[in-house]
Amino acid sequence: MLSAIAARRRGSGLGFAMPAILLLLAFFVVPVAALLTRSVTEPEPGLQNYVTLLGNSTYARIFFNTFFVSAVVTLITVLIAFPVAWALAIMPRRWAGVIFAIILLSMWTNLLARTYAWMVLLQQTGLINRSLMALGLIDAPLQLTNNLVGVTIGMVYIMLPFMILPLMGVIKKIDPAILQAAALCGATKAQALWRVLVPLAAPGIASGALMVFVMSLGYYVTPSLLGGTANMMLAELIAQQVQSLLNWGMGGAAAFVLLVVTLGLYAVQLRFFEPGEGR
Amino acid sequence: MTAPFLHINGIRKTYGNVVATDHVELAIAEGEFMTFLGPSGSGKSTTLYILAGFQDPTAGDIRLRGQSILQTPSHKRNIGMVFQRYTLFPHLSVGENVAFPLRVRRMGQDEVAAKVKRALSLVRLDGFEDRMPAKMSGGQQQRVALARALVYDPPVLLMDEPLSALDKKLREEIQFEIRRIHQETGVTILYVTHDQEEALRLSDRIAIFNQGKIEQVGTGPELYANPATHFVADFIGDSTFLAGQLAGVSGNRAGLRFADGTLVADVPLHGSGHAGQAAELMLRPERIELAPEPGAAGASLPVTVEDMTFLGNNTTVAARTSWGDALSVRLNFGHPLSGRIARGDSLYIRWSPEAAHAFVRG
Ligand SMILES: Nc1ncnc2c1ncn2[C@@H]1O[C@H](COP(=O)(O)OP(=O)(O)OP(=O)(O)O)[C@@H](O)[C@H]1O
Ligand SMILES: [Mg+2]
Repeated sequence: MLSAIAARRRGSGLGFAMPAILLLLAFFVVPVAALLTRSVTEPEPGLQNYVTLLGNSTYARIFFNTFFVSAVVTLITVLIAFPVAWALAIMPRRWAGVIFAIILLSMWTNLLARTYAWMVLLQQTGLINRSLMALGLIDAPLQLTNNLVGVTIGMVYIMLPFMILPLMGVIKKIDPAILQAAALCGATKAQALWRVLVPLAAPGIASGALMVFVMSLGYYVTPSLLGGTANMMLAELIAQQVQSLLNWGMGGAAAFVLLVVTLGLYAVQLRFFEPGEGR
Repeated sequence: MTAPFLHINGIRKTYGNVVATDHVELAIAEGEFMTFLGPSGSGKSTTLYILAGFQDPTAGDIRLRGQSILQTPSHKRNIGMVFQRYTLFPHLSVGENVAFPLRVRRMGQDEVAAKVKRALSLVRLDGFEDRMPAKMSGGQQQRVALARALVYDPPVLLMDEPLSALDKKLREEIQFEIRRIHQETGVTILYVTHDQEEALRLSDRIAIFNQGKIEQVGTGPELYANPATHFVADFIGDSTFLAGQLAGVSGNRAGLRFADGTLVADVPLHGSGHAGQAAELMLRPERIELAPEPGAAGASLPVTVEDMTFLGNNTTVAARTSWGDALSVRLNFGHPLSGRIARGDSLYIRWSPEAAHAFVRG
């Protein structure tokens, strides 16, 4: 897939890429073009959908929620996934295999089921609140659902595998002797982490973070179940506009903004972390 | 008695029921070039890793200037190391790789620059500061690794087969550089290799490792002239072993009787044994002479010629004793016998008494 992209970028192998290009045209470019058209023609021709979307404070709030939650989710995911990926990479093969299988299984389990499970865990009388109260850490139950805290927790959980996998890929390729060399050179554990391990894992962190951030921007299920109606995110806005209000113009404009942001981020990633550059 | 500079004191390391090293005992002088030589799996790297702090010994102690270093974590041991694999930091330039140990020690910018320049100059890589490791040859990378390991003036430098990934010519070139650097810096070096030629070329002393134990420690000539065990005799230089029986032991000299009844008298004996016990006679091929008649009593055996191979400066003659042990003898080019012997000829091998050693069979 990556090599196909690379070949296309070099302008060669166009013949082989033809079926893929046709497929992309039929299933991606055409619907996007249709959406784009509706966003500038409905209810009447003009850019008024975009003006409303980017100018109105309600919508601004939704954009802010979306980017803020996605950024926080990405950050927390990196912080959790890095030590997990590291442990998996240096763990005896058999154990790593078992844990890896658990991670994959959770990825394949129905998304709705997993999100409802979190709802149960996070609610006022849920396991988490009851445990915290039993431990005497809190007096009254925390509000963990119907707000962005719940959304963030739920999404971090869903996104973790997408961060762990690319991180494991890069960390596995790092020769442990390089870290031994760093230690003998006098580097403390923290110095070895920041000066050697993190820079060497940077391509994996970048691709994992991009994946998680972009998926979070357009995520629908978790925000709608755990976030409540007061804290809408972009995907919910699109669904609401199209499904409930039948406002295809506005929904299309929001979707198009999301698409532009995503492609922009992808371009940045390609610019700084060429595929195949990571060692 | 003053404590040795570096004392490896009865180190034992086991992994489950695998004994990696067993009672390794070695005193190393300041500025000495000590090489660990031995076959694969003999515990050389394990000993080095314990010194580096990557492994904890099961028993024993390591003392530097009389102080145990086992409780000191790797990053505080201030020991330098060059690894077998390339371990330069791939994301840092050559200059930054060499600067790394100084930066983690929070040394001032000017001092770092000066020390990096000096270290790179020591390994003859002046001006390579901005090059990335991936753009350098294996030999150059190992030289940068050497500069990185020496830039903070460690008292001890460990090298674990640093040249084994390089081709022969490059290896010899860098061996020469390592010798020069050792002389210029006076750093104490512990060097691991399983190449005897490399060990002989570089070292002040060599410790011969076998199955986790040190068999013998000594200078190259000492080990060659006076091997303590069969293993050492076999590992350093070419040797011929002829099987016989002890006949008359007095102190550390003995006679050996062979299957055809020949008695070889008064040979230095290594290990303790009694008359009648199985033993073997060790001879170096270049100390054996081939002659038509027996020599001085007790330093000669009859053999039958089996094959001759002309090798330029010498002809190697393969021969066999009457009881079936094979041996080889070298005739230098121009030797009176070369060209005059044929397969099946009955001749004698002769040697000067100090060239032979007897080992009791364990
Ligand atoms: N981490 C480990 N777990 C189990 N056994 C080990 C481990 N490291 C080394 N060993 C065993 O200890 C013994 C000594 O190994 P060591 O690496 O010290 O040998 P070496 O002399 O350096 O050999 P080589 O020349 O192949 O590098 C070997 O039998 C090896 O299999
Ligand atoms: Mg080794």
